[in-house]
Amino acid sequence: MASSARLASWRVTVLVLVILAFDRSFAMGQVDPWEFEVYPYATHERGLVEYETLNSYVVQGHHQGGEGTAAGTFPSQGMWYNSLEFTYGLTDRIEVGGYLLTGWPDGHGFWFSGAKYRMRGRLFDEDVLPVNLGWYMELEYHKTPQFDDDALELELRPILEKDFGWWSVILNPIFEKPMFVGPDKNRTLEFGYAMGVYYRFLPRFSPGVEFYGGSGFITSFDPLPQQQHYVFVVAWGHLGYGIEYNIGPGFGLTPNSDHVLLKFNLELERFIGALLGPSPAGAWFY
Amino acid sequence: MSTHGKIAAWALALYACAWALCPRLVAADSVATVELVYTNRRFTPQKVAVPAGKPVVVRVRNLSSEAIEFESFSLNREKVVPPGETITVKLPPLTAGTYDFYDDFHQDVPQGSFEVR
Repeated sequence: MASSARLASWRVTVLVLVILAFDRSFAMGQVDPWEFEVYPYATHERGLVEYETLNSYVVQGHHQGGEGTAAGTFPSQGMWYNSLEFTYGLTDRIEVGGYLLTGWPDGHGFWFSGAKYRMRGRLFDEDVLPVNLGWYMELEYHKTPQFDDDALELELRPILEKDFGWWSVILNPIFEKPMFVGPDKNRTLEFGYAMGVYYRFLPRFSPGVEFYGGSGFITSFDPLPQQQHYVFVVAWGHLGYGIEYNIGPGFGLTPNSDHVLLKFNLELERFIGALLGPSPAGAWFY
Repeated sequence: MSTHGKIAAWALALYACAWALCPRLVAADSVATVELVYTNRRFTPQKVAVPAGKPVVVRVRNLSSEAIEFESFSLNREKVVPPGETITVKLPPLTAGTYDFYDDFHQDVPQGSFEVR
């Protein structure tokens, strides 16, 4: 009885998400080309440090700034986006991280593009809730006007993850808002998403499908052709010694999306020692 | 979509989320607990019998002087165990079968398994 009711609630959730995704009047928010990554429920453990390089290259994009993944004056065609990420597990449930963003617009050389600082956490232990739940809060600085039209933005993501046997489904709804400076600082939230469906085939090589989308305000709506939606077919795996990868091509699904991209993410984990002690028994937030 | 439709969609989404996020209540005696010890570059025991259909709590004690990463690919679990510490990994009720676990930081450590029956 309870399981059938839970199944029904899942069906309702999926139905509502589909309705909202295809509703012209519900704008889907910003796509971040420096971070084609879906964040799971699990955080890095206390004392663990992760170095990660996130890369995406626009194989077929747009030739004018402000279109596709390019939010600034440089066009997206031929752009290489790179993030160097440093993350540290602060507690058993909270990690802190920083990113250095660079870009290589086709024919314009190598550019510093911005920086990001974030905290991410997981709530409760795994499988205490029917859906594993986490949170993500990030402050972003972008070099304007070349790479974005907003210098400072705040991004919030709830994180939802559920395993079904060998499958994992992860959803990150994304809420983003310009902050503190610039003419858009009082602008409302943008809404977007990152979602992944992964199958555990082999530790070193497994398939997955990721979805990213966005571009629009929750109160003022972009027509669907002007929104951006992408699907990536990825291979991912754990290579041992704390090395993991996630690579694959991505395809734009709307006219304003870049048409073909490639992503390549590589991470290395090492334990360097914990600053704080273990979380108390029964703690659910930190 | 009309305003009423949008409100109804959000209300349904909130209802579904509230239902999905209700904590599970599990009686303590229905949880199986197993303990693993890591020392001298191996897990002991290496094969762990686990009852099928019950939630499982795995306690991993690292008695070595180096950090390890207790990982199970098949169970989608990954946790660092600092030297001298004990961590807890919670697993949902499992169906019969064999599920791997290993130390991802040290590939020479023999792989272990949960034998669920």
